[in-house]
Amino acid sequence: MDAELIRRLTALVGERHVLTGVECSPYVLEGRTPEAVVFPGTKEEVAGVLAAADAAGIPVTPWGSGTRISVGMPPARPGLVLSLKRLDRLLEHEPADLTATAEAGMTLGAFQDALGQRGQWLSLDPPHARQGTLGGVLASNASGPRRHLYGTARDLLIGLTMVLADGSIVRGGGKVVKNVAGYDLPKLAIGSFGTLGVIVEATFKLRPRPDMDRLIVATFERVKDAGQGARAIMASDLIPSAVDLLDAEAMRALGLGGREGAALLVGLDGLPEQVEWQSAELARLLASGARVETRALDGAERDGAWQAVGELSRCAFPETTAVMTWGALPTQVADLVEHGGDIARRHGLNAAFAAHAAVGIITAVLGAGAEAKIAATTVAATLGDWRALVRDAGGHGMLEWAPLAVKERVPVWEPPGAPFRIMQRIKAELDPNGILNPGRFVGGI
Amino acid sequence: MASLTPERKTALRREMEALLGKGAVLSDPDELLVYESDGLTLFRALADFVAFPQTAEHVAALVRLANREGMPFVARGAGTGLSGGCLPAEGGLVISLMRMNRVLEVDYANQYAVVEPGLVNLHLSWAVGPNGFYYAPDPSSQQACTIGGNIANNSGGPHTLKYGVTTNHVLGLEVVLPDGELMWIGGKTRDPQGYDLTGLFVGSEGTFGIATKIIVRILKKPQAVKTVLAVFDEIDQGSNAVSAIIARGLIPAAMEMIDHLTIEAVEDAFGCGYPRDAAAALLIEVDGIAAGMDEQATRIMEACREAGARDVRVARDAEERELLWKGRKSAFGAFGRISPAYMVMDGVIPRSKLPYVLRRVNEIAASYGLRVGNVFHAGDGNLHPNLLYDPREPGIEARVLAAGGDILRVCAEVGGSISGEHGIGLEKADYMPLIFSGADIECMRRLKHAFNPSGLCNPGKMFPSRKACGEAGIAYRPHPIEEKGLAQRF
Repeated sequence: MDAELIRRLTALVGERHVLTGVECSPYVLEGRTPEAVVFPGTKEEVAGVLAAADAAGIPVTPWGSGTRISVGMPPARPGLVLSLKRLDRLLEHEPADLTATAEAGMTLGAFQDALGQRGQWLSLDPPHARQGTLGGVLASNASGPRRHLYGTARDLLIGLTMVLADGSIVRGGGKVVKNVAGYDLPKLAIGSFGTLGVIVEATFKLRPRPDMDRLIVATFERVKDAGQGARAIMASDLIPSAVDLLDAEAMRALGLGGREGAALLVGLDGLPEQVEWQSAELARLLASGARVETRALDGAERDGAWQAVGELSRCAFPETTAVMTWGALPTQVADLVEHGGDIARRHGLNAAFAAHAAVGIITAVLGAGAEAKIAATTVAATLGDWRALVRDAGGHGMLEWAPLAVKERVPVWEPPGAPFRIMQRIKAELDPNGILNPGRFVGGI
Repeated sequence: MASLTPERKTALRREMEALLGKGAVLSDPDELLVYESDGLTLFRALADFVAFPQTAEHVAALVRLANREGMPFVARGAGTGLSGGCLPAEGGLVISLMRMNRVLEVDYANQYAVVEPGLVNLHLSWAVGPNGFYYAPDPSSQQACTIGGNIANNSGGPHTLKYGVTTNHVLGLEVVLPDGELMWIGGKTRDPQGYDLTGLFVGSEGTFGIATKIIVRILKKPQAVKTVLAVFDEIDQGSNAVSAIIARGLIPAAMEMIDHLTIEAVEDAFGCGYPRDAAAALLIEVDGIAAGMDEQATRIMEACREAGARDVRVARDAEERELLWKGRKSAFGAFGRISPAYMVMDGVIPRSKLPYVLRRVNEIAASYGLRVGNVFHAGDGNLHPNLLYDPREPGIEARVLAAGGDILRVCAEVGGSISGEHGIGLEKADYMPLIFSGADIECMRRLKHAFNPSGLCNPGKMFPSRKACGEAGIAYRPHPIEEKGLAQRF
């Protein structure tokens, strides 16, 4: 890299906050080592770094805590990693307004802790919920079981500040829960994987912590029965916060049962009366199905179970070979889980599934036993069959994680179709020199 | 754009009729008058044509024709908008979607519906109601406004507090882009890949194209509802009660405030049971499962009493609940009983700032010699001060506009926004710099350019005139169409 650029960056953020050479090794991505890692301390410094990189035509990879950095195609070119680590402050929390603003590098865990002191929380529970940064959660549109009731980042982010490639600092939305002035820049940034700008500040709407929070585990003989259970819950008067379906492998990984059957994990929260009535009603509702056992988890046991579901991709198998996320209609979830398992077995692989059953988001983990290294071609063939299965059902599949050798054979993203033209135009307007995460996102943007 | 010769106008009308059929195009000035404004009658402008497509292909064909002619076009639903958002440009084409009003598909198990943009908001809830479902976003105009218009303005309503605005309920859209291409963005399944074009399109005020099919979430009707009416002798007490309820860990489905002047108007018009001598009343609703409903109502009533409510009660039955809501939802109409004209403002503030801002609103109105009625979504801080005036009074419009500007400035000063649900449209374009920097607005211009490079799709809306950018104060200045004598402010 241009030594002059390094000098400029050092002048901008201070020598201590620029890494080069071997110090960059923790930031190697898909085998590519960045030329430098920069740690700006303010949004103005972020703007300075981006403007300098843009002028020099050097690619920039925005980096939070790295929990989801592997999502996406390998970077087209190495360049700078821009770490948001030092932008980690809570800027404002107004309990009476149920809103809070923080810098993007703050971890979700630290954010929740600060809100919790005033009895509130951000109702987002993505995998690795404590380590992930606010900016990373937004850029990768991460979500968890409670999206069933509380929605995703889309429903909770009300204002956003981001820095565009040319260094301009722009804001969209606002600090009030209801605002419709101007275009919805926050929506555009969510799930854009850092290709349009670097998120530096975010304002969220919050919720009061519920008085009571319970997890009901119901186990079934077959995946199909669990699927029927989930449909019965959707059609009932219950208002659960989460309805997750696990297959037998996922149950085993989470220590919830043996090698057969399936489970529903149902979150119930609110006033004690609401939780108690729903617990009883849920038991009644499921009793009419196949053999069902239900038990209620509270406190640390409950938190541990939810966390484990989020980390299924790490704990399901001695060696994870790939993770895919599927989006489908809720009524198709059980079928897809069953057929997905069959497909994996046909290829001689194991699979574990956890699904947000009533929203139709399925995490499919592909694994091998401890004994064997599986050929990338086998993994790729399985993923190809999975994708065909989901597409035939009208859904889509995104390769959440896979080794480079597999990514070379299976595209991470679905083909974007007709809207790609508009996506390209938006990219060209906001990042005309293509320096933000080039090559990693949908359609190679 | 040069005005059309009579021969050209006739030829274009024939061409559109060949596309859409007889009776689907208006071009006589008398007929066009109906479409010269939306609910904000301060701005008026005449189109050259109003066309009534019946399919997405019709819409695409009209848009392509408009492009070929270099003719500006704007989509229009029921015209209930309050910011001039669907006002025609200088001449050009209005594409009315009122004949595209069908529910195309309902999937109860997966809880979505596919509808056409001209469907009246309330009609969707009627369609799915017999199966125990409803569509949550409920603007006060829901008996007339269309879902397509709701998409354009990202409309809200009383139940936004708990259920969010329109964008939180839209999964996907079939759209005709400003160049005439028809495509789907988003879809029935969640988390589609790529940029969230659906999220960007909703609330883009018709500047990104025209939605021709809309996939919305439908919700199960709650098992139980409770509506509480709290009456206050001082408006500050009511404001404080709003925060006190939230502080008790509750998020009601709705928290609406009606002030003294509005109560008088509503009672004169409908007799809905609001006490005439109250300074303010709060209408608070909780919904959900029946268990715990009494506990929630108790917490709300305690919070109101502690804030100083003189009377707090739960609506006895569905009939009383309906009546209380009728009073709230018909307030705008009721102003007609006490004032020949009024301007509806739409600002948002952090709800903790309610007491201060309401005082300022009343002071501002008084300083301009105007009466103001406040009826609004207190729970999410979305104010609707209604400035009442008599248009026969010389010079009154300028005072109303100036007072409105001052109110928006106060909203911006306390960290709020200049629109909670009505949109920017033409009305507030020059107020955008109150809350957005030059860089913010430039970024939005770039996004508009990505969708609408020719600028023919709903021109002149949302963006401040270039000269207004960066100026601290907003002064009245005529819109270009006024300068050309094509529109006038009333």
